[in-house]
Amino acid sequence: MSAIRLENLVKRFGAFTALKTMDLAVDDGEFMALLGPSGCGKSTTMNMIAGMERPSEGRILFGDRDMAGVAMGQRGVGFVFQNYAIFTHMSVRQNLSYGLRMGGRPKAEVAQRTGAIADLLQLGDLLDRPAAGLSVNILQRVAIGRSAVMEPAIFLLDEPLSNVDAAFRAVMRTELKQLQRQFRQTMVYVTHDQLEAMTMADRIAVMDHGVLQQVGRPLEIYNDPANLFVARFIGSPGMNLLAGLPLETAAGPVVDLGAIGHSPVLAPAQAAAARRARGAVVYGFRPEQVATVPPGHGMAMPVSFVERIGARTILHLGHGAQGAKAVFENDVGLSPGSMAHLAPIPAAIRLFDAETGVALRGT
Amino acid sequence: MAEIAFRHVTKRYGRTLAVDDASFTVADNEFFCFFGPPLSGKSTILRLILGLEKPDVGEVLIDGRVVNAVSPAARNIAMVFQNLALFPHMTAAGNIRFPLVERGVPELQIRARMADAAEKLHITHILHKFPGQLSGGERQRVAIARALVRDPAAYLMDDPISALDARLREETRVELKRIQREAGRTLIYVTHDQEEAMSVADRMAILEHGAIRQIGTPSQIYDHPATAYVARFLGSPMMNILTATRQGYSVSAAGAAIQLAAPDLTGIASLGLRPEDLRVSPWAGGTGSPATVIEVEPLGGHTVVTLEAGGTRLRAMLRGQPDIRVSAQVALTCDPARVHYFGDSGETLRPSHQGGSE
Repeated sequence: MSAIRLENLVKRFGAFTALKTMDLAVDDGEFMALLGPSGCGKSTTMNMIAGMERPSEGRILFGDRDMAGVAMGQRGVGFVFQNYAIFTHMSVRQNLSYGLRMGGRPKAEVAQRTGAIADLLQLGDLLDRPAAGLSVNILQRVAIGRSAVMEPAIFLLDEPLSNVDAAFRAVMRTELKQLQRQFRQTMVYVTHDQLEAMTMADRIAVMDHGVLQQVGRPLEIYNDPANLFVARFIGSPGMNLLAGLPLETAAGPVVDLGAIGHSPVLAPAQAAAARRARGAVVYGFRPEQVATVPPGHGMAMPVSFVERIGARTILHLGHGAQGAKAVFENDVGLSPGSMAHLAPIPAAIRLFDAETGVALRGT
Repeated sequence: MAEIAFRHVTKRYGRTLAVDDASFTVADNEFFCFFGPPLSGKSTILRLILGLEKPDVGEVLIDGRVVNAVSPAARNIAMVFQNLALFPHMTAAGNIRFPLVERGVPELQIRARMADAAEKLHITHILHKFPGQLSGGERQRVAIARALVRDPAAYLMDDPISALDARLREETRVELKRIQREAGRTLIYVTHDQEEAMSVADRMAILEHGAIRQIGTPSQIYDHPATAYVARFLGSPMMNILTATRQGYSVSAAGAAIQLAAPDLTGIASLGLRPEDLRVSPWAGGTGSPATVIEVEPLGGHTVVTLEAGGTRLRAMLRGQPDIRVSAQVALTCDPARVHYFGDSGETLRPSHQGGSE
């Protein structure tokens, strides 16, 4: 019923194409994140789902119903935007109950539903406070509550956490996820923050320059990025990507990484991927999936910088196109100027076509 | 050359205590970070160092000299503000040279200093562009270059990279650290991002309500927080702090779900567990504290799991991508040596034989 289907969706603004032929199916009750940098088309997509923008081409279906010509107010969707629009002359309770009261719901029901959403969002103690004096954090919570209380079948959120502070954002991530688990709405969540998408979404649609790059579960996208853009964008820090050339050696297939030397011998799946390459490749591995090895057994890279962040150590290695990072959960005893000898975990290596940026897969 | 110090500085705005009896010494060439929540006094401290405010009580010192009465201009300290304040009608080069032109520095010297700063910040190729043609990161570098060419005794930066997106912040903070080392100047830095603070700072001060709660290297503060407040403020996800009670030879928390051998401490009111120090395994009865999985947040390199044990919520950060499902029953364990203990007023309790150096 509240599944969303985007078919050949295109949006142009004059000569500028904001969205290029997008197909996406969001299941009923699914939490889908639209993730990408600014200008990638994610908000344009959301605005078309909401009915604020009309598609230049293609269709939007809710269930089997084509939404063309259906006005925004008739679509039965709830929204929350980055800039909360709270009535500051009203109390928290009046804000939360506004939609229900306007819809003429019985008083008892209004009180019951307002109370329930307030409890869920930890606004119970603030119900009679005027909205005017509340912090940005709390106002955004009220904005979410005001939409959620209507129990829309489809809930659209556009960067709802980008104005709240970091500690509060972590709390809100958990709350939003639980809200969705409880009400089972179909949720479309626009964000530029890969962390929010990874931690909350059932699936993520990664976008760049108006083009859908990949759709998948968070760990699918993290482990098997479809191309270099996704590999860089997902993860913190992003995937290490080194320019190289596949090479057969007596020991087995490797990737020649220029000044860094040869990669360790490729595992069978990666070797099969390397054989599909038509020329130069990009050798990718996650900063977390690296082990230190004795000299001569891995890649030798000079340490340029060491960040220690709590229990984590981030080593910055090499520079420029042959630069990489490695993350360790303890202090590995390396300092700037020293040489790090590292080997990525063989199964975690990903290869990309250097020309097209597309992932090379073994099978 | 600049050593910057406060001696018992207090500053009030009306009835608000903005800075509360603050004392610290920032060494010459040090990258020193003030870290605290909004309104904890960070920006007021910067304004006091710059000379834009005067202390109500106490002394501000530069290189051992009291400067309470010295004008901002005579202090020779450069400031990079949060909002970059580049002149939109001037090119990047025009913006960078502006403070030197104002001071009547000879043209040859201006060119040399500008070329040097531009090279350090990797902006030589964009010097001819106007701010409107630059990305946020590029504008930031131009603003820093403008501060750099002045060759001041010290730099102050107020959350200078907060406007950049997460990926660019990760890169820029490392650049800032490199620039500070190469420039060889004292840098006093304010940020609200704990990861950024720990990454860049040689030492840092943690602020709460205008008072300095702890000064030390990021590792010292992270590993040995002076109070529960400081402990929660550094680290993401934040430290789990649970009310604890001592019964004979054991300490219990989370409705007795967590039981630990009592350490040699008196006055335990709560205990602190860093999320990365917690281990989670399938519940098999016996060892570990029984807990229920409430939420699983996969981050790729690690996984944050929200748990409920004895009616208390806590978060664990596990390495890799463990197969843990919401509502699963698990056993929670931790290394007793990694547990932090706090007293009634949140102070860290230390065994008496370790001495009290804090």
